[in-house]
Amino acid sequence: MASEIGQATIWLSAFSALWAIGMLAIGLRNRNNNAIISGRNGVVATFVLISIAVAGLIYGFLTDDFSMRYVAEGSSYYQPVLYKIAALWGKMSGSLLFWLWLIALFGTIFVWRNRHTKDSLADYALIPISVVMLFFTILVSGLIRGVYNPLSRFPNGGAMPDGAGMNPLLQTPSMAFHPPILYVGFVSLTIPFAFAVGALISGRINNDWIIRSRRWTLFSWLALTVGITLGGNWAYRELGWGGYWAWDPVENASLMPWLLCTAYLHSVMIQEKRNMLKVWNIILMVLAFEFTILGTFITRSGVITSVHAFAEGDIGVYFLSFILLSLFIIIGLIVSRWEKLKSLNWLESFLSKESVFVLNNWLLIALTLIVLWGTLWPIISEAVTGQKIAVPEEFFNKTVIIPGLMLLFLTGVGPIISWRKLTLSNLKRVFTKPIILALILLIPTISYLFLSGNIVVKVRSVYTVLCVFFSVFVLVAIADEFYRGGKLRSKRHEISLLGGFFRLIGRNKRRYGGYIVHVGIVIVYIGIMGSKGYFLLESKSVTNGQSIEIGKYQLTLKRGFEESHPNFELSGAEFDIKRNGKYIKTMQPARGFYFQAGQGEQDTIESAITHFGLNDLYIALGPLPQDASDYVSRGEPVSVQVYHNPLISLVWVGVAIMVVGGGVSMFEKNYKYNVKTDA
Amino acid sequence: MSRSRIKIFVASGILVSSLILLVFVGVKNTSLRHFRPEQLVAQAQEVHQKGVQIDGFIAEKSTSWDHGNFQLSFVVRDEADTARVNVVSVGKLKPDNFKDGGNVFVEGRYNADENLITASKIQTKCASKYQQAGSALATQEKYQIEAEVTQQN
Repeated sequence: MASEIGQATIWLSAFSALWAIGMLAIGLRNRNNNAIISGRNGVVATFVLISIAVAGLIYGFLTDDFSMRYVAEGSSYYQPVLYKIAALWGKMSGSLLFWLWLIALFGTIFVWRNRHTKDSLADYALIPISVVMLFFTILVSGLIRGVYNPLSRFPNGGAMPDGAGMNPLLQTPSMAFHPPILYVGFVSLTIPFAFAVGALISGRINNDWIIRSRRWTLFSWLALTVGITLGGNWAYRELGWGGYWAWDPVENASLMPWLLCTAYLHSVMIQEKRNMLKVWNIILMVLAFEFTILGTFITRSGVITSVHAFAEGDIGVYFLSFILLSLFIIIGLIVSRWEKLKSLNWLESFLSKESVFVLNNWLLIALTLIVLWGTLWPIISEAVTGQKIAVPEEFFNKTVIIPGLMLLFLTGVGPIISWRKLTLSNLKRVFTKPIILALILLIPTISYLFLSGNIVVKVRSVYTVLCVFFSVFVLVAIADEFYRGGKLRSKRHEISLLGGFFRLIGRNKRRYGGYIVHVGIVIVYIGIMGSKGYFLLESKSVTNGQSIEIGKYQLTLKRGFEESHPNFELSGAEFDIKRNGKYIKTMQPARGFYFQAGQGEQDTIESAITHFGLNDLYIALGPLPQDASDYVSRGEPVSVQVYHNPLISLVWVGVAIMVVGGGVSMFEKNYKYNVKTDA
Repeated sequence: MSRSRIKIFVASGILVSSLILLVFVGVKNTSLRHFRPEQLVAQAQEVHQKGVQIDGFIAEKSTSWDHGNFQLSFVVRDEADTARVNVVSVGKLKPDNFKDGGNVFVEGRYNADENLITASKIQTKCASKYQQAGSALATQEKYQIEAEVTQQN
């Protein structure tokens, strides 16, 4: 019954989305408030209907209804409950249904939050939201070749005796949460995009749409930041190759909207302060949204050969058509509103905050284009030359360094440079201290990073020196901003310096939350520099009692072991870890053996990871039989791969700081905008 | 046009040109020709001792692991098994999801004389499949689902 009801509600939601579009268009054109309210109700009705469908699918998972095809392909009897629920977004049609549900949810929240506003901008914005809902409803309806309705049953009325089960690699907490958080980031960008399009349609090209969409944009940015990081963390913990980012097309697909969203968040400050870059900001927001659809296209269409791509069905054509059609319409709207989009001011000086922000935009867009080019080059090269040319990880690693370092430098310059024109007094006042301190602290910082047990090899690249120098510069510049502001407030209000800091942040959450994000970015840069540039790797086969050495660590194989779990068995090897000859810890890397009906036996790498200060020791095992204790005690060889990943903890810590800063910034309340309300 | 505008345009031009050059050089120096196994075998001599990327299927019962040399050896075949390419990887573990008949991507240097890729990177297909594997009927047949079984239950 859940299946049949769910399928029916998906079909009905197509009508409610269409109703919403129609009623809103009619209501706005004829200034008919009843029609507008009916349109808003259409959005809410779509949410209710899709929620019933999602509930039906979850019910199918929790009751192990293997007559439902999607449930049968993604779950099994012994799969833990968390992963039964996570299976909702584990494959194509379920993930699209979840995407649709999120759009409808955010649309409903949007309707509720704007229920008392008398101006029409929000209602204009509801039209593109409803169009996106309609598009995704069509995708999950079962009409498209290659995408079945996720609530559908097997055609012959049968059922699998047990489900195929979720791939063992996905049965980890970080992979359970990575997709939904990333989807929240992608989907919530629909709202600021809708505001931008609504502003174009209505002709209200002032700062209203930016101000009213700001919190949504920050929310998206936060969700994308967390979602991308969870994906990297999962890869690090589960895949056994000691890394967290490989520039795979699917990874790139999530990074590009994040880069554009970051550019947008900076660029809008210029529009708000100086009424400049209006076209720029609309284009950035539209592109950020379109790149979320492009990312979905890359992941699902199979057009790009990658470890994530599976070629089947027509869905790629639909995504591409949506992107092209929507861009065509929006470009038309921009052209029609060109007079209103012209900037009222222009850059007065090459050395100014405005110029730095424009340069920041250019660099973020350049990074996006580099990533896009590298991702699409196989298709482009095949279309042009007939030969598919792949672009490996090395291309991305080498090409992004220089723009990345420039961005790092601007992260410190942007907050402290003056508006309009850099004066000599501004130069002396705010730049002298950070530059001098960065030069003084460069050597001690490098010594700390490269000695003291962190990175155990010498500096081998000028990029490293630049990265450290710029990082110290940024941290000192931002610390100085906090100190000067905090001290002023502490004096003014006769409170402690700490109290002054809190008051400072509280009075301008947006600005100082942004500075906290910049601190986090710097920490991430240092973490990436260490872990990507200076990791150590040792690969060796050892027998019982033998050791493998890496850096200052010595790992000695002591014994084998086995462990039983509800849906898998572990077979592993225990190592005693010594540093400089002194025992510090025991680590237990293993192989996991999963048995699932549809997938047969799978054995996976279950790495052991231990944090030593800012660094990780990471051990992965080669093939091992299930009786590891006997195997090892017989003196058989165990293949071991060990990584020393210096400063990698800074990557996760830096992201956490970014999230804190973004959260602080999101709660800026001191916005005044000219919106008439009933209240 | 004011001096500051000219400076800004010139600087923007330099920046854009530099980035284009960066991408061009990057692609030129790092790119790999991508093949399916049958394509690689057909053009073997053209790419002898050059970097290549192939995607195919792990040939059944072809995988072996040499503990002593930390070496993984296997064969990649095309879908119809009309062409095969040998692969050897030293110093790296077999990735997860690596199984007979499974999809695999290999990057490395190709030796046409031995029809061998010395792999620098091996990847298997992502565990998360964003696609429908064939028709529902095929799924039923694969998992031997019978309507009568359900009815009896």
